[in-house]
Amino acid sequence: MRSSAALPQLPAQPRWLESRRVLTLILLGALVLSLFAVDWSSGVLHPRGLAAIGDIFGAAFRPELSLELAGKAITSAWRTVAYAVAGLTVALAIGMPLGAVASGTLTGSRTASAINVGLVRGLLAFFRSIHELVWALVFVAALGLSPIAAVLALGIPYGGMLGRIYAELLQDVPQPPLESLRRAGASEWRVFWYGRLPMALPDMLSYTFYRLECGIRSAAILSWVGLGGLGFQIQIALADLAYGRAWTFLWALVILVLLVDQWSTQVRRRLA
Amino acid sequence: MTVRAAGLPCPIARPPRITFVRFTVALALVLMASSWLFVLVLDPSYSHAFFSAETASRAWSFLKELLGVGTNTTPAYLQASAWASTGWLALDTLAMSVLAVAFAVAGALVTFIFAARNVMVGDLAPYGSRTWGAWLFTIRFIYAVTRSVPELVWAMLLVFVLAPGILPGAVALAIHNFGILGKLSAEVVEGMDERPSRALRTAGAGWLKVMAYGVLPATLPRFVTYSFYRWEVIIRTTVVVGLVAAGGLGMEFRLSLSHFHYTNVTLLLVWYLLLVLAVDLASAGMRRLAR
Repeated sequence: MRSSAALPQLPAQPRWLESRRVLTLILLGALVLSLFAVDWSSGVLHPRGLAAIGDIFGAAFRPELSLELAGKAITSAWRTVAYAVAGLTVALAIGMPLGAVASGTLTGSRTASAINVGLVRGLLAFFRSIHELVWALVFVAALGLSPIAAVLALGIPYGGMLGRIYAELLQDVPQPPLESLRRAGASEWRVFWYGRLPMALPDMLSYTFYRLECGIRSAAILSWVGLGGLGFQIQIALADLAYGRAWTFLWALVILVLLVDQWSTQVRRRLA
Repeated sequence: MTVRAAGLPCPIARPPRITFVRFTVALALVLMASSWLFVLVLDPSYSHAFFSAETASRAWSFLKELLGVGTNTTPAYLQASAWASTGWLALDTLAMSVLAVAFAVAGALVTFIFAARNVMVGDLAPYGSRTWGAWLFTIRFIYAVTRSVPELVWAMLLVFVLAPGILPGAVALAIHNFGILGKLSAEVVEGMDERPSRALRTAGAGWLKVMAYGVLPATLPRFVTYSFYRWEVIIRTTVVVGLVAAGGLGMEFRLSLSHFHYTNVTLLLVWYLLLVLAVDLASAGMRRLAR
């Protein structure tokens, strides 16, 4: 500690002006203001709310089990998976080309790529700003109730997310191999195909698999707009106040998500 | 490898191996094909044609109604009073997102260490601890269940418990994000540089001290960053839980859609986009402050 006297003196600044302290104050202020936004005066629980907690979460340990329900759970799970995978295909169709353009690496021309990058990044940001269920509500109002509306609703925001990450991954590849391709006379387009894409592909694939896991959850709640699937069964069961039946489908959803989670973790571990 | 490195031809061509990744890619392609087959052809519940002139004209008229073209009334997005009344809902939504982050962070912060393998049953675990493995398993299981169930479903369950408003929405978002944040942070602990903690341990520090002076300093910066990232995700989802929890923009969005007040829908979407943009900027700024 004695040696600290020899250190150069930091400029005198009140401690509360250090950036972390300012941040803490901002966050505490936001929390307090947000707490005021809750209507505490008329009670936050339903009259029978406490009993409902016991009923709902107790039912988690006694899900309704029957052969018929199990069959229903499996068919709804497949429906959810099918919507998720179809939605992810749309997302790939959006994210791959737009991500490549948004990375700004396809052409050597500065202005052309700046315009492309600005426009395409904005479009991708718009796609992913809106939650898939909001897209779904809008699409169902606009196009009618159809699974294709749900698949598009899932594909658009996921396409926005994939596109952004793909663009970053394509930019972040190591530069020396690209440079040697350029020295050998390859155009930017060739550099992209034979340099950037092969190097970025494992990470792109790995992120796509992570998104598949999120897609399953999203597809399950897309049934909220009236399409079939696990979420729809949960919704019906809850409308009947049949908590046990709801938990049968909830557990099915948990198992499905964990299976896909394990799969994608294994894939990512091998690609890393 | 040495043969190849020396530039000699490989004596035997290796047959293509079926690796896990190749199998996965093949399975993914099969899944894609069968999913589209199901959605387009086999799905028994929806047989009406989607790709039709009727759908196109319907979409076109919906778009005109969103913009308020061809109606006599002033579109909601041109009325100052409509902006003001929905502005309060936007603030409510923002408050919901802040509460959700606060609850999720509080929950994850007190549990994530107990979900990391290396400090519970691994090298950094307390000596002779038998029951710690059970804690590890329990907390991981809770993370798995809370994050597998989507926010909207938690909200559907919570409306039976909590009075409608922003609180059930905030709690629903918090439960789901607690699981995600906890899992991510536990992985940070498992992937951290263990050397400072080992050094502490060798110097005679107990488990609690190793956690406080070794593990937490190594992991909290990432925890803070992840929390801000989750805030960006949460603000997008507030509208969705608001649909069922009757709080903020979500409820109004649903009502406007079902009452065919389409210009109001446009206004709410504009507020939604503004909120998402504002939170993205605020989160980026705060992450810089935290650094």
